[in-house]
Amino acid sequence: MQTIESLEDIQDIARGAVLLGTGGGGDPYIGELFLQAQLKKGRKATIIDVHSLKDDAFIVSIAGIGSPPVLLEHLVSEKLLVKLLARAESAYGRKIDALISAEIGGANSMFPLALSAISGIPVIDGDGIGRAVPHIHMTTFSIFGVKATPCVLMDESGNVVTVDTIDDHTAEEVCRVVTGALGACLFAALYPMSGKQAKDFAVLGTLLQALQIGRRIRQARVESTNVFAALLDYLNAGERFATILFEGKIVDVSHETRGGWHIGRAILARAIDSTDRFVIEIKNEFTIARLNGRTVAIVPDLICVLDAESGEPLTGEMLHYGQRVRVLGYSAPPLLRGSQCLQVIGPRMFGFDEDFVPLEELAQRQAGE
Amino acid sequence: MAQMGFRLGIDVGGTNTDAVLMSGRDVVSTAKRSTTMDVRDGVIEAVTALFDQAPGIEGRVEAVMIGTTQFLNAFVQRRGLSRVAVIRVCLPKADGVPPFSGWPEDLVCALSPQIYMVGGGAFYSGKEYAPLDEAAIGRAAADIREQGLRSIAISASFAPMRPDIEERTSAIVRSIIPNAQITLSGQVGGIGLIDRENASLINASLCSLSGVVVQALVAAFSELKIRAPIYFSQNDGTLISAEAALQFPILTCSAGATNSLRGAAFLTGMDQAIVADIGGTTTDIGFLAGGFPRETTAANYIGGVRTNFRMPDVLSIGLGGGSLVRVVGGNTIVGPESVGFRIRSEALIFGGSTLTATDIAVRAGQAHIGDPKSLNSLSESTVAAAIDVIHSAVENAVDQMKPNSQALALVLVGGGNILISRPLRGVSQILRPQYAEVANAVGAAIALVSGRVDKLYDVNVLGREAAVAQAKVEATRAAVEAGADQEGVTIVDVMEMPMTHLRHGCVQIKVRAAGPLRLLSH
Repeated sequence: MQTIESLEDIQDIARGAVLLGTGGGGDPYIGELFLQAQLKKGRKATIIDVHSLKDDAFIVSIAGIGSPPVLLEHLVSEKLLVKLLARAESAYGRKIDALISAEIGGANSMFPLALSAISGIPVIDGDGIGRAVPHIHMTTFSIFGVKATPCVLMDESGNVVTVDTIDDHTAEEVCRVVTGALGACLFAALYPMSGKQAKDFAVLGTLLQALQIGRRIRQARVESTNVFAALLDYLNAGERFATILFEGKIVDVSHETRGGWHIGRAILARAIDSTDRFVIEIKNEFTIARLNGRTVAIVPDLICVLDAESGEPLTGEMLHYGQRVRVLGYSAPPLLRGSQCLQVIGPRMFGFDEDFVPLEELAQRQAGE
Repeated sequence: MAQMGFRLGIDVGGTNTDAVLMSGRDVVSTAKRSTTMDVRDGVIEAVTALFDQAPGIEGRVEAVMIGTTQFLNAFVQRRGLSRVAVIRVCLPKADGVPPFSGWPEDLVCALSPQIYMVGGGAFYSGKEYAPLDEAAIGRAAADIREQGLRSIAISASFAPMRPDIEERTSAIVRSIIPNAQITLSGQVGGIGLIDRENASLINASLCSLSGVVVQALVAAFSELKIRAPIYFSQNDGTLISAEAALQFPILTCSAGATNSLRGAAFLTGMDQAIVADIGGTTTDIGFLAGGFPRETTAANYIGGVRTNFRMPDVLSIGLGGGSLVRVVGGNTIVGPESVGFRIRSEALIFGGSTLTATDIAVRAGQAHIGDPKSLNSLSESTVAAAIDVIHSAVENAVDQMKPNSQALALVLVGGGNILISRPLRGVSQILRPQYAEVANAVGAAIALVSGRVDKLYDVNVLGREAAVAQAKVEATRAAVEAGADQEGVTIVDVMEMPMTHLRHGCVQIKVRAAGPLRLLSH
């Protein structure tokens, strides 16, 4: 068990969550302020290991759903989250033993922590994807059979919509319509599951991983040591693989909204004279990175863009012409690279006519030439 | 030429007040004086010195342009700030992130604010999600009056889409506190309630100070018998009226750095260059593109408070003419500590006992000031090492600000430019324009008038092209309303941000238009 009680911890998690968000998931800034406000009231968020829960414990995700820019205007209501928790318990007919983040990447890393501080209910160190994804049905919960529904959507005005659909594709469609009708930013309780299911299907350790990532970046800055070396050291310490894919300047970036998605493309060139072109495609998240037309990283592996000087992780919306950046490739959690997951979050589901090849293998091929 | 009007550019910095008299593109005279506590006397001295060099043209001055860091310095130093009250129109939303979230504690203590959140606010579509709670606003206003506060910020969700919600709130407050100084968030910021509200709070805290400073400046010019309209430079290097500066001091916060960059561009005729302003304590380095400074895109912090203001992207390093030079364990260190404005008494060449970067420059033969004999005991190796450290510090900072590795021209302004004598890596040429020491006042004198728009547009209804075109028209109209010459207005900047997860095809469009002052353009 670990408690989050310092402002630095919150900042570290938020920064780490942007990195793990692989360009999407929204800026955690509002969630960060919300959690700070709770800490200032003397409250603490509690993070627990999933294995400290019984198999029949009851767990739900708490998430903001809708448009990140709208969240920047509507912010978040403490009263709403308290009501949502009560409403969810009455809808599910059970007391909630623990909360879990649906996706660690971006804003939704913060809301369960804030609600933990308010209610005292602990948050599991883990989430349903280990990164950010654009659809409800793309989490490991959903892939392995924990449905997002029945879910409870609520707004501050008192509107409550309970969604119970035949599958999570349909849940996604219905939630979008509901969210759109109620101002484009709601809060939800979803993915009701047992302790056993959380142990089997969650991507574990990601919350404290976000904290550690943020902490390494901060400490390297304070000590004026190399941020990227510190980050690579940390990310490569376990079974996963991380590498710098490219360093250069953004020479072109396009953003557009199509069908409710942030679709875009960033083109990078090296600072030194070179004809190399590095292209990152954006569909809410960074989905594929190609160097001179050859794939060097592809979803579900993580592609992270960081400020070349400060090491600050950037979301897709933050990219702009002239920025100097380093692109980090980070292998997806092993669970995501299995065939069952690749059928749902593999490259073909994002419209790419190629199969998933692990980042480390692509790096070897590149080096072998 | 003989009939051409004159204009005055003034830069009221923390240490110096610089003034320049210009006619067309020509600098007629310049002056530099110490900034005085009351601001007014320093300005009067500097301007008097200008007309001593060019007598008889006081009556032919057509415009006065002032850039000042007074408000920024006051806010950063928590000096002369007003206690503020804030009314946020947001409930039932947003109660989890109250006003002043994320602010430094010392600042919240200094402002000891009164905070109210009341019912009301709008969706992105502009539709209200709750009726404006007029009774709660009335109660808040009565309470604020009771507390004796006059500086009030009012914010509301999606105020850029529905400015009337904040305006109605303001009207209720004013009916109860007639002499209230009210800042509406929609007047000082774009999308993002917290950042915009923060800007309105900073502005409210500066309101009584702005009254003192702006009135002191206006009084100075009336004493000088200059009846021309007075304008203030804002962060983007364009002008607002004295009335607007009085009401919105925050808009002028970062004008100093911008003016210095724009002045350097003007004096050298360079459109694209790196500019280094080497002062007494710091060197500020910026990048000029199209004659305007590159602006930051990330959130900006003013005195530790996050805002969504666009500011010139300036890198400051602790190197200046007054920087202390020390040898520690065999390493020569220059700065970041500095004797600052006390250089005239503390540097060795001025009879003091502190070794400064200026002493090094004099000893190396890069400048001829003070008494060079005072440096006789200085070792050659210390001088050589310090010169190396100074050049490599500037080289590194210049490299960080460049958009790519291509060699660029470097414009040196500020009194500390004597510290640089050698060619620098990554720099194609070093320019030291005439009047460099008053580049910021020149930047003020050549300023344009601008208009901005930052709104959400529905591109499904309008089409993207039409939405951008409409935003451009609105920005141009705003510039003309602010005093720009319709003919000369050009679009300086267009930014589009998609609104993710909205089916409606909403796009946030920011456009900035700027043009010369109408009265000067003929």
